[in-house]
Amino acid sequence: MEEIVFDVFARKNRGDPLSHVGYLSALDAELARVYAWKTYDEENWFEMCIVPRSEIIPVNRTDGPFAQARAGATTSNRRANTGGRS
Amino acid sequence: MTSAVEGLKAESTEVQTAFRRLVLGLADTKRLLGIRYSDWLLGAPSIEGGIATSSMAQDEWGHARLLYAALKDFGDDPVELEHERDAADYASWDPLDHPLPDWAHLIAAVVIVDGALALALEGILEGGYEPLGGRIGKMLGEEEFHQALGKAWFQRLATGEGEGHAHLQQAVEAMLAPTVRCMAPGDDAHERLADRGLILPSSTLQHRLAGRLDPLLERVGAGVPTEARLDNDWDPRRGRGTGHPEEEAVERARGDRNRALFVE
Repeated sequence: MEEIVFDVFARKNRGDPLSHVGYLSALDAELARVYAWKTYDEENWFEMCIVPRSEIIPVNRTDGPFAQARAGATTSNRRANTGGRS
Repeated sequence: MTSAVEGLKAESTEVQTAFRRLVLGLADTKRLLGIRYSDWLLGAPSIEGGIATSSMAQDEWGHARLLYAALKDFGDDPVELEHERDAADYASWDPLDHPLPDWAHLIAAVVIVDGALALALEGILEGGYEPLGGRIGKMLGEEEFHQALGKAWFQRLATGEGEGHAHLQQAVEAMLAPTVRCMAPGDDAHERLADRGLILPSSTLQHRLAGRLDPLLERVGAGVPTEARLDNDWDPRRGRGTGHPEEEAVERARGDRNRALFVE
């Protein structure tokens, strides 16, 4: 079973910018929801969202981590440096 | 907010005793479930799965503590309940008496045991028992994530045809009937509470559980039983089978080792 990489975004308060807080691997979106909520639980988040990394469209460069990940969004991309923890 | 005793003071001693049995059974089951989850912190199929399992263990221990604290209003000392009882006094549900041997058993426990616990709590909430209302709301919010994880993994394991599917089938077969029996025994104590409207009748609980779980359980050829068989293997005092959780788990539930480190 191949896992999918999801990026995790969250905001602490209503009106705060949505920030990239990390990433994770999961078999599907439903598991990714649970993993995200249970892994990135250091704050009492107002809102948290996840996005499959393969769905993130790079805008200004083709050599950034998300652009590289877009080539194949599996666990092989886990080590892409997106600034997230874990 | 009235205390639990005040909340039930108009009720008979039998009703109060039955309600105490119910809450203690849920508290003990959550304490044991937390221990069984914690066994898989390092054995999950992925790091993320291990973190989620760890978090669920913490949730269960937190829920257990809230429920033990609620029993203070019935004259119990929560410290005594948590730290000083023998294994034979535990009212935890039978399927948690022994360790969960593989990931498939863990997932079955999330779906069946944890799912049934959540339903039992919903039943208390609907009964309008005020002193527990706020606490149950918080617990059920956390339980939504447990069930999402259980459902997603159950579907994965059930879809395969290999070892995972076979282990899941075994786990479901072993856990389902004993869990339903503990959640909705339909014995005197249970029906006494249902008659007073404090919880849901056994038939309603079974029906609701079937509505939630049967679409999943059908994938391994199972279904929620519609009748609880009490037979001779039933302890009405604890609301579970006549056995008890193994001593090693109860030592961990009591925190014996931690308490040995206390310096007076």
